[in-house]
Amino acid sequence: MAPPRKPRRRLRDIVAETDPPTELVPERALAARSRRDFLIFGAAAVAAAAGFWWLLPDGAAEGKLPEGAIHALDTAAARLGLTRDRREKFLNRASLTFDDDVAEALFSRGRKVRTYTKADIRPIRNNYNGATPNPDYLADWKLALSGLASGRAETLAIDDLKKFALHEQITRLVCVEGWSAVAWWGGLRFSDLLDAYPPAPGAKWAAIESAVNLDGDGNSDPYYVSIDLETARHEQTLLATHKDGRPLPVEHGAPLRLLAPMKLGLKNIKAITSIEYTAKQPDDYWAKRGYSKYDGL
Amino acid sequence: MSAQRRAVPASRTPAAPVRIKRPHHFLVRLTHWSNVPLLAGLILSGLAIYWAAPVFQHAPDPTTGSTDYFADLGVWIVAHVPGARTYPRPITWFYDHFSIGPGQLALALRLHWFFAYLFLANGALYLVGLVAGGGYKALLPRRADVRGAVAMMRYYVGWLPAKLFRCPWPHPEVTTKYNALQRAAYFSMPVFGALAILSGWAMHKPVQLRWLERLFVNYDGARIVHFVAMVVLGTFVVPHVVLVIVDGWDTFRSMITGWSRRTNPKEAGHGAAPQAPPPAA
Repeated sequence: MAPPRKPRRRLRDIVAETDPPTELVPERALAARSRRDFLIFGAAAVAAAAGFWWLLPDGAAEGKLPEGAIHALDTAAARLGLTRDRREKFLNRASLTFDDDVAEALFSRGRKVRTYTKADIRPIRNNYNGATPNPDYLADWKLALSGLASGRAETLAIDDLKKFALHEQITRLVCVEGWSAVAWWGGLRFSDLLDAYPPAPGAKWAAIESAVNLDGDGNSDPYYVSIDLETARHEQTLLATHKDGRPLPVEHGAPLRLLAPMKLGLKNIKAITSIEYTAKQPDDYWAKRGYSKYDGL
Repeated sequence: MSAQRRAVPASRTPAAPVRIKRPHHFLVRLTHWSNVPLLAGLILSGLAIYWAAPVFQHAPDPTTGSTDYFADLGVWIVAHVPGARTYPRPITWFYDHFSIGPGQLALALRLHWFFAYLFLANGALYLVGLVAGGGYKALLPRRADVRGAVAMMRYYVGWLPAKLFRCPWPHPEVTTKYNALQRAAYFSMPVFGALAILSGWAMHKPVQLRWLERLFVNYDGARIVHFVAMVVLGTFVVPHVVLVIVDGWDTFRSMITGWSRRTNPKEAGHGAAPQAPPPAA
């Protein structure tokens, strides 16, 4: 005799809401469990509040709490070891390093950045952090290349760079501040420069500097970024010499700027004066000021 | 046991059994409460990022220099709200009170990523808890929900006038864990949470996750969805807290301890406590 066929359960029956099962529990046990749960809840709430006090910027509570309370809370936090120094270290490790690792893991050299048409082009902000440099530097501008396989230090003039094939692309530049703009760029591929002047074996990074960068008061304030060579070799990573089909204007980094649209705008350094290939990760201007370092989009 | 002891009604004896149900899985309760500091951290840091990049910008105001609506709101509050009139910088009032402050972008970004990764993990744990405890079944929309939601809205709108004029105002009958309006709200919260996470990643990695950016039309589209999701998640908290207070201690306690004494399905749901019969009846 064949065993009776088990009726097939339909999805509708599986997800149907049923009356919840009830159970009988001694009141004393219930009260004890409740007490324990409320104590844990209270402790977690206090811990969360302490964590907030630690993570929020200094002065955030000013004017919102009485000064005595702020002082008492600051003292208590300091006793617990919740110092500003530790906060910076914690956030750098838990947030920036972790997020940079995620960004690096997501990066693929074969993945193309979205390109746009000329109709999508929008005016792009001049986001020089300080003053825009005086164009006088253009007269004797040279690009210094070092860390090469040849062991030599090369100095290239703009005419040397014009010998490379010109590539054009209309891509979006995304700023860490949250604005973005589609612009039309032209220049040589970074990978072409790397082929023509190969870096020393073991080099993983390019340290790119703009010696002509100025701070807000117009004083010299060199700007520098690091670019991993994987990104530099991406076919849409340009050393741009043109914008809108014309040579770069001073406010957009004449005569040579980095255009890596798979990186935040702050990596797209303007008015490059030197590139050095290194095995060790170089510093970044903004990473020293609390921003991330890899900046992959 | 003494005779005196036995005289106490059985339901009040400490050792007597009590009938309970367990409406909320441990992971659901854990992640529910974790959302409080996580969303607070995300909004406090997020609005400081918004400060650097207003979604809805306008031309600079000639008198205040403001270029965004939140700055305008601060100006309005300082001009009209007693006690705020002496605020030194009206255009930063909103950011000083609802974010970690203007000019804090580097810290705001780090805090936002920190809370965002935790929010992502928390959301995943919540889904695990929903499935493990079967709680998702009570959230799934059903055919009669539109009618049920309208009945609930009618009930809430008429509740205060009915009390004022002492009219009978019975709660619509609810035989499930949640009424239709609750179900819609509790179902849409994880949806908006997921939208916030997806639009956040679309903005964070628009190149490597370009398909995700396209899902929100473009980069700015993702920013607008992200902002709307924040407003929805933040706004939900207000009626949520009010209704929990109205509904009473058992509802609040059940979200901490996981058990509830409301074992009769007829009295489930917010404000559904049975009405006492008139004394003369």
